[in-house]
Amino acid sequence: MKRLKRKKQNAGVGVNGNGSVTREPDCGRKQKLAEIHQALISDPVDIETLRRAAASKGGLLTDELRRKVWPKLLNINVYDLPYKPGRDVREKHKDYNQVVLDVRRSMKRFPKGMPAAERAVLQEQMTDIILEVLKRTPQLHYYQGYHDVAVTLLLVVGERMALAMLDTLSNHHLRDFMDPTMDSTKHILNYLMPILEQVDEELHDFMIRAEVGTIFALSWLITWYGHVLSDFKHTMRLYDFFLASHPLMPIYLAATIVLHREKEVKKTECDMAMVHHLLSRIPQDLPYELLIGQAQDLFDQYPPSLLAKQAALQSRKSLSISTFQAFQFATLHQRPDSVLQRLTKAQGSTTSRQASQHSGLEAALPRDRGQMWGKGNRMVKMAVWGLSATLGAAVFAVAQTAMDWGPEVLLQLF
Amino acid sequence: MAIEKKPEDEFDTVFSQNDSLELSSHHDYVTAQTRIFKIIVIGDSNVGKTCLTYRFCGGTFLKNPEATIGVDFRERTLELDGESIKLQIWDTAGQERFRKSMVEHYYRSVHAVIFVYDVTSLSSFESIPEWIEECRRHCVGPLVPRIMVGNKCDLRDRREVPTTAAQCLADSYNFPLFETSAKEPAEKEHVDAIFLTLAYRLKSHKPLRLKQPSESNIRQLWNQREQEAATCQC
Repeated sequence: MKRLKRKKQNAGVGVNGNGSVTREPDCGRKQKLAEIHQALISDPVDIETLRRAAASKGGLLTDELRRKVWPKLLNINVYDLPYKPGRDVREKHKDYNQVVLDVRRSMKRFPKGMPAAERAVLQEQMTDIILEVLKRTPQLHYYQGYHDVAVTLLLVVGERMALAMLDTLSNHHLRDFMDPTMDSTKHILNYLMPILEQVDEELHDFMIRAEVGTIFALSWLITWYGHVLSDFKHTMRLYDFFLASHPLMPIYLAATIVLHREKEVKKTECDMAMVHHLLSRIPQDLPYELLIGQAQDLFDQYPPSLLAKQAALQSRKSLSISTFQAFQFATLHQRPDSVLQRLTKAQGSTTSRQASQHSGLEAALPRDRGQMWGKGNRMVKMAVWGLSATLGAAVFAVAQTAMDWGPEVLLQLF
Repeated sequence: MAIEKKPEDEFDTVFSQNDSLELSSHHDYVTAQTRIFKIIVIGDSNVGKTCLTYRFCGGTFLKNPEATIGVDFRERTLELDGESIKLQIWDTAGQERFRKSMVEHYYRSVHAVIFVYDVTSLSSFESIPEWIEECRRHCVGPLVPRIMVGNKCDLRDRREVPTTAAQCLADSYNFPLFETSAKEPAEKEHVDAIFLTLAYRLKSHKPLRLKQPSESNIRQLWNQREQEAATCQC
């Protein structure tokens, strides 16, 4: 970890090419609150400040701020949320039974003092939002643990916002886990050992000798630690961090947790069962702020592109990783809530006329709406999609200028 | 896991050269006093695999159990005829996607397999042949003891799987069948007894450790298994 420390001193402020956030020196809570509020009302929203705040000490600080900032981190318009799913969402869905079984067994995820009736309502909502997301995108497949993500979002932002966020996350950060098989998930887990090898070869070799594999970190990765942490405030803190980071960040955090427990691991009998047993039980008193900082440092020092050069990681293409850059670009052009509200209202009056021609919910869903600002944004996103990382930024600037002239020019460009 | 790539034959049956080597170096050598047996527990989602293993290893019923993600590990050390036996129990996720690519690592060199179904869920019972096939595909040798456990038999009025049907299926595979309840406190001893039966079996069946089992050994084992299946009372 010596290398890490040196790195820390040089760490500046800003977003690097891979979209991870570097830390700023810790400033007072009050100042941080003010910064976040300021970032929220900037036009466009100062997404880099929000990302930095979400990752730096204390995260987003309050539940109220989380409700405001989480949607921004995922480029969600709070005035244009999907409607509550109807009852029909439950009909004939292949994953319905599994979802119900897992939701019913999710009691521990709710605050201890919550009345049973209230919990039951939330569990119904949880089932609905999960099935709604799956129904919207048939390529997405439910996995056990997805419900842990859903419940975390639901408890913080409420049903409709949780639905919008879960939809976006499922198509980006969680996308690999939602393939028909877990092969892509296994591939993501394969990043863990090379990170450990870079930092502590002895520990890495010990774990290879023990043949422990990486399944001990599976639930950490696919639930963003929601499944294994008993204190909800820690879960929220980690969600702040992951919502603002690269999809592989949970793996970097897993690496820091293993490295943090290095002495314990090496003292254990070098045996698959023993090491798995030790590592899979996550201590509840981990120094999360420290580990988050270390995970960011590891990410900067050993970015996924570097690790991917290892033979074991080359074979597969990750959708979460390949679409992340475009996703990051898309989040840069959000309007503050005051503007969104105005735009959405104006837009609402036109769409409601259109909507009356259609029937049911579909017409009101955000993806079916052709908002002026949204349309332009999407076009830029599409254009940038296929370009390589190095070209991306330059083309983006050109595309933006083209957008000022009009979408026709942009279309001619490509 | 791709990094720790192993030659194919590591996944072979308990009688392969590799496996017996692993047994001696890993378990018998490191812990000379305690013999270790590895048991994998499989079956559909929500049949009670976690509660069953928790009951045996922790002694109590696990309230508000959650879905298992990937694989959980529990263990318990027993004294059998003055010999110390450690049972390492691997509790697996029930959802199909996990068994396809995640659980295979844990089938390696298992000493026994427990198939669990829920007596109040016919579909979980009907999946048993699939699980047995799955197990075979992972090259678990034919002499690795397997047992079938029907859980939740405390829910009498919700029973969907009659004992006779279960016994019939178990007989067809020559597996001993047990019906029990991880929840019912009165069944605590019974849950222990199931694992103890398996432990005795693993302890006494030295032939299991032989590199080259003779044909007669196999026949003897099958006969014993048949006897046990026939005498199993639930």
